[in-house]
Amino acid sequence: MGGGKGGVGKTFVTANLATSLARLGKRVIVVDVDLEGANLHTCLGVPTPQRSLADFVSERVEDLAKLVVDTPVPNLQLIGATHGNLADAQPSHLRRVRLLRGLRQLDADIVMLDLGAGSHASVLDYFLVSDDGILVLQPEPTSVENAYTFLRAAFYRRMRLAMVGHGVRQLVTMAMDQRNERGIRTPLDLLREIEAADTAEGHRFVETMRVFRPRIIVNGVRTAEDVKLGFSVSSVCKKYFGVEAEYLGYVNFDDEARQSVSMRRPIVDLRPDADVSIYLQRIARKLLGLPSTSAAGGRQDAGVPGYPSGGKR
Amino acid sequence: MRGIDELDYYELLEVARNATGAELDRAYRTAHDTYANGSLAMYSVFESRDATEIRSRFDEAYRVLSDAELREAYDAEIPAETKRTGSDAFRDVVDAASVPGGAEMGHYEQRELAGFDPVEQLSPLDAAVEEYDALEDDGSGEFDGVRLRRNRLFRGYELEQIADVTKVSRTHLRNIEEENFGELPADVYVRGFVTAYAQTIGLDPRVVVPSYMARVQGSRSTAARGGFLARR
Repeated sequence: MGGGKGGVGKTFVTANLATSLARLGKRVIVVDVDLEGANLHTCLGVPTPQRSLADFVSERVEDLAKLVVDTPVPNLQLIGATHGNLADAQPSHLRRVRLLRGLRQLDADIVMLDLGAGSHASVLDYFLVSDDGILVLQPEPTSVENAYTFLRAAFYRRMRLAMVGHGVRQLVTMAMDQRNERGIRTPLDLLREIEAADTAEGHRFVETMRVFRPRIIVNGVRTAEDVKLGFSVSSVCKKYFGVEAEYLGYVNFDDEARQSVSMRRPIVDLRPDADVSIYLQRIARKLLGLPSTSAAGGRQDAGVPGYPSGGKR
Repeated sequence: MRGIDELDYYELLEVARNATGAELDRAYRTAHDTYANGSLAMYSVFESRDATEIRSRFDEAYRVLSDAELREAYDAEIPAETKRTGSDAFRDVVDAASVPGGAEMGHYEQRELAGFDPVEQLSPLDAAVEEYDALEDDGSGEFDGVRLRRNRLFRGYELEQIADVTKVSRTHLRNIEEENFGELPADVYVRGFVTAYAQTIGLDPRVVVPSYMARVQGSRSTAARGGFLARR
């Protein structure tokens, strides 16, 4: 779960999706990889965990499985990121590679990573190592801009990893600088350059692009326009990056959601019938490929207070 | 990956080859919103000259595909469908193991939850989005002011935009939609306004104008009769 900007609700969405997935019978481990702003444990109602990812970063613990703690939700466990070393919170490169490998070996059906803000390589790699990279954004210019910055950074980093030849890698690196001297402005420009340089690399580029499928959640939705933003971002991703970015769903703006954070419980547990919970549960079901209808016991048909209920469906 | 100018009109609008008129309208409206000047989803990615080019491509695609004759001619011209679209793209073997770096970066499983199906929407809030989508206008029957308005909204036009294009004042346009016939000028002018209105939002004036004018004339003759009787 990434998204570039801080404060867009990544942790809130992560905590609630994880809870919903656990309630749907999946064994879930959520990992707070926001080493400098850890608070996933708070959203899940876990008192400051004594064991945390910081112990792995500082090489006190080698086995990630030993850092897993239980949460109040059955099937849902957590690796927190508390008690980090303020002087040196981020792992060394080698440590990070070990961490990424370790995360994939955790014993769970689903491992969810709650990323920190920013588009630094240390954040991007968690996104890229995942089977599903989910972007959380809010319908605000700052958030949308940062989401694209994040996506652009992730895209080029992924592409550079896929390229074999040194020269072509250099081309990707050059394209990452938006004012590059070659005038490579877009991913398409870059592809053209790479194809001209080496057909096989061009083929690899296209293939890698095909499996690069970020997914989008719009959080804090207040209007129909906000809902449509997800479709628009998805279309722009396709036209600009040439990638399929699926719009997973949206979560409405809700003051109760903020209260749930103060109460240190996921809102899907605290108020499972609240609109915001229904949207979150919907996304969880969609992630699992389940039909969305049975989640709320037919409540979708009942209409939702505060929103026009017309329409034919 | 292909550039905007290499996509066929269906790929451009992200609709299936057999998309219905309503699906086309919806896709066009989404495109219209997405690539409008200063659009939240677009402005930080595309430069304005690119956006202008994209918009004109969309306009052209929609102009052709929304016209049955032009569409048929266009379909005959383009090669048979080769490109995967929407959910097919997922069924297309996504074998990350064959992708360089794929194994180390994780694999993508095939999934059914695929591309967003605009028909299988995500209510409840979608109700708001779909409020004016409910109309699937088949072009038959009577065109009254409400129907014009719904068509306008459905196609994503503001009254201001129509006023800009047609040079008909917003007041007149609003009176046409609200059927304030008493506020409208002589029939000959109204006929011109409605023709321009229909053309702008992409309705066929040959169908719309006679239908609407019949309402205007019906109302006016009733009003006139009423006035005459009252005077007697």
